[in-house]
Amino acid sequence: MSVTNPTVEAFERERRRMLIRQRTQAAVGLAIFTVLLLVSFQRSQFFGSDIGGDPLGRMADFLQRMNPGLKPELLLEDRQTRGSLHAWFYALPIWLRAAWQTLEMAILATAMGSVLALGASFLTAQNLMPFAPVRFVVRRILEAIRTLPDLIMALILVAAFGVGPLAGVLTLTISTLGGLGKLFAEINEEIDPRQLEALQAAGAGPLKKIRYGVMPQVLPNYASYALIRLEGNLAGAAALGIVGAGGIGLELQRAITYTEFDTYLAILLIIIAMIFLIDLFSEAVRHRLIGLEKA
Amino acid sequence: MTRQAYDQAMAIAPAALRAPWTRRARDAVLLLLALAALVGMAIDLQLAPGALMTGFGKLGRFLGEMFPPSSGGQSVRILKALAETFAMAFAGTVIAALVALPLGVIGAKTVVSNPALHFVFRRFLDVFRGVPALVWALILVSAFGLGPFAGVVALALADIPNLAKLFSETLENNDPKPIEGVRSAGASPLLVMRFGLAPQFAPAATSQTLFFLEGNFRNAGVLGIVGAGGIGFELDERIRIFAFDEVAFIILLYMIAVACLDTLSRSLRNRLA
Repeated sequence: MSVTNPTVEAFERERRRMLIRQRTQAAVGLAIFTVLLLVSFQRSQFFGSDIGGDPLGRMADFLQRMNPGLKPELLLEDRQTRGSLHAWFYALPIWLRAAWQTLEMAILATAMGSVLALGASFLTAQNLMPFAPVRFVVRRILEAIRTLPDLIMALILVAAFGVGPLAGVLTLTISTLGGLGKLFAEINEEIDPRQLEALQAAGAGPLKKIRYGVMPQVLPNYASYALIRLEGNLAGAAALGIVGAGGIGLELQRAITYTEFDTYLAILLIIIAMIFLIDLFSEAVRHRLIGLEKA
Repeated sequence: MTRQAYDQAMAIAPAALRAPWTRRARDAVLLLLALAALVGMAIDLQLAPGALMTGFGKLGRFLGEMFPPSSGGQSVRILKALAETFAMAFAGTVIAALVALPLGVIGAKTVVSNPALHFVFRRFLDVFRGVPALVWALILVSAFGLGPFAGVVALALADIPNLAKLFSETLENNDPKPIEGVRSAGASPLLVMRFGLAPQFAPAATSQTLFFLEGNFRNAGVLGIVGAGGIGFELDERIRIFAFDEVAFIILLYMIAVACLDTLSRSLRNRLA
């Protein structure tokens, strides 16, 4: 059955062309992806690397060494008894203290970074900073901060400020400034301009305009973003310790130095619990803030 | 008085409409308490102003030494390390996506409808969501030896719970109508997935995975510090010997690479969206 309707034929041709183009695109994309993946596996020695000849055995050994060997009947015994909880979490007070330090680092850095970001956001918001070159420069600085990975900044700051929480707090403060500065500026640009105009008409200066025209509108959103950032900073602070910036990461590093994998697991559990608790807290506060804003 | 009128009145005559003094006193006390708490934390962490000053002095000197940046005649080695960093990020992201896909399906409310099971599974993922890649890398290097292998696995481990969560949310937000349409046309479950689900899910999931690739390229740059290969190792080595002109060279190169990947990935994501 041969239908020679020119319209149908044209349609069929067009459809075939589109299909071919789509399939070529998909094939080229797939080819690029496959090549990248193969090269990546090769370069990262994912399959070729020497991880002890017997990878599965190695894995089993690894898990075995992470197992604290708890014995149900000895759980509540003292530190000297192998298999008790106390022997597993043998330095719990020190770890909790280090975890608290990590939390303090995160809170301090979030607070200072938010205040700096507040300042920066007014310098980059189109509706509040009429002077374009300032906006441009501050924006580029914030961008540069966001591009630089935290831990690389931490490495340099540890070299300058020495091993300890100071370098960690500074690193997180700067990276918070970079991240929140951008978000705050976006909030600032979305405010209702009528209140600013009213203040302008009443003859208010730029500071008064910010205080009475901007702040009441943006504070709940700021707080919400800052809390999200706090969650991230807490995980960041835990990792920063590994490069020498204080807190619980140092304890992780120590456990690895003595190849105490079960201790590593214990500290990891503390970190996970800490992050989890802060997440819950921050989520609850954020929901309240958003609720308040709507009321 | 409506909220808007109040806002306007407040804007025009703040003094007349100020909150009562009890409220203001309470706010002031709370603010002071918060400040005191922050200062207390700073003292507890022994953040001494003296250390800050000497530190800034040193930092200034380092920054001065950074210019002009120099490759130290090792640009080939540095470029190789950069390639290795990207390879780690790429391999780690692909592995994470492959593992996260089935986990995401299991975690989707629309697939596993038992609420208790769903809750337990989501919480289980949540528990591991916060662990940074560096923390995984530290122990994996100790277990599997130096080299990028541990880095790849660490990046994948850090991503899997996050990606799985995003995948399940994407699946839950899928429009069920195309799926019903394909099913009502008599398609087999496989065809339903291919023509009902995939056209919605694949672009969103790819876009999320690309986003994680960007993040991983940033994270991968530092895994070398604990011995997991890549550019971090080169950086760490040079910071230890205070070769800051070479440090600056590597950082600049890396930042350019990060910006390039971000731009590329963003344009891909925009095309997918």
